[in-house]
Amino acid sequence: MTPLSTPTPREEFLAGSREMAPMLIGTMPFGFVSGVAAITAGMTAFQGITLSVLSFSGIAQLITSQLIAVDSPVIVTIAAAFVVSLRFLMYSASVSPHLAHLPRRWRMLLSYVMTDQSFAAAVRHFSAPGDRHNRHWHFLGSALTLYVTWQAAVAFGVLAGASVPAAWSLDFAVVLCFIALLMPAVRSRADLAAAIVSGAVALMAAGLPYRLALVVASIAGIAAGMAIELRREASK
Amino acid sequence: MSTWLAIVGVSLVTFLLRASFIVFANPQRFPHRFRQALVFVPPAVLAAIVIPGLLMAQGQLDLTLANPRWIAGAVAMLVGFLVRKPVAIIVSGMCTLWLLQWALG
Repeated sequence: MTPLSTPTPREEFLAGSREMAPMLIGTMPFGFVSGVAAITAGMTAFQGITLSVLSFSGIAQLITSQLIAVDSPVIVTIAAAFVVSLRFLMYSASVSPHLAHLPRRWRMLLSYVMTDQSFAAAVRHFSAPGDRHNRHWHFLGSALTLYVTWQAAVAFGVLAGASVPAAWSLDFAVVLCFIALLMPAVRSRADLAAAIVSGAVALMAAGLPYRLALVVASIAGIAAGMAIELRREASK
Repeated sequence: MSTWLAIVGVSLVTFLLRASFIVFANPQRFPHRFRQALVFVPPAVLAAIVIPGLLMAQGQLDLTLANPRWIAGAVAMLVGFLVRKPVAIIVSGMCTLWLLQWALG
């Protein structure tokens, strides 16, 4: 038996990049909307693009824009971005064993460009059978493809600014992107409980200032998921 | 000035959370319960954004036809359940919303 040859870095990179192609149809309007949101919040074009280049997170960018628009204290804006980005903590924990052998520079770079979609693709690819030698190139390929598309879409939104007709309801594409991420994240009854409780609390707490509803709802949802999980363990 | 502070702070927070375990810490060193709770972060945070985005219009709970978003969202979820492709969710949701907005004038 001859061993399968190791895919080259180039092959891995291109395969990762191709895997993101279907995601771009959601990423482009999402990035565009994020760019428009920065301008309508009162940021300059340079500030909107800097926020996007440095944070590279649609949810964090949108929350930041919404809070800057209502003149929130800086610490409230940062706290809200922290809560919506908590999911990165979970992604970072799950993917870290596959990256532990890489030099620190590589791990810094992959952290910076990791998003919901490229994380999901990376975990799938790292767990597949076969030669693992160059798989971090696959992760880089998918993440960089999203990065470049995202920044272009945001820049386009920043420049188009508020001249997009509201009747297009492009902001709804953002909600749909989150539905596309939410559905595969619900895999157990405990996950479902976390989602339902969080959604219900988000509605009830909607009157709170500075979008604090998001923070309160997320914590309630996590608690509900843990409660179901602990009860399941206890009944075993 | 405060806008720049927010931009820098938000960017630091997003990077540090991403890099947390990849660069700085070994998740095995954290308590089991903590790692268990992390699993519920994505469904909880995403639902807290999605549900109000569908069911609320102009800051009020609105389950009437005047708010076509919850119907478009329900169609998108049904399609996502059947097809399990992100593209199908986004395309079906946007098309349903546009159709309803056109039909309702």
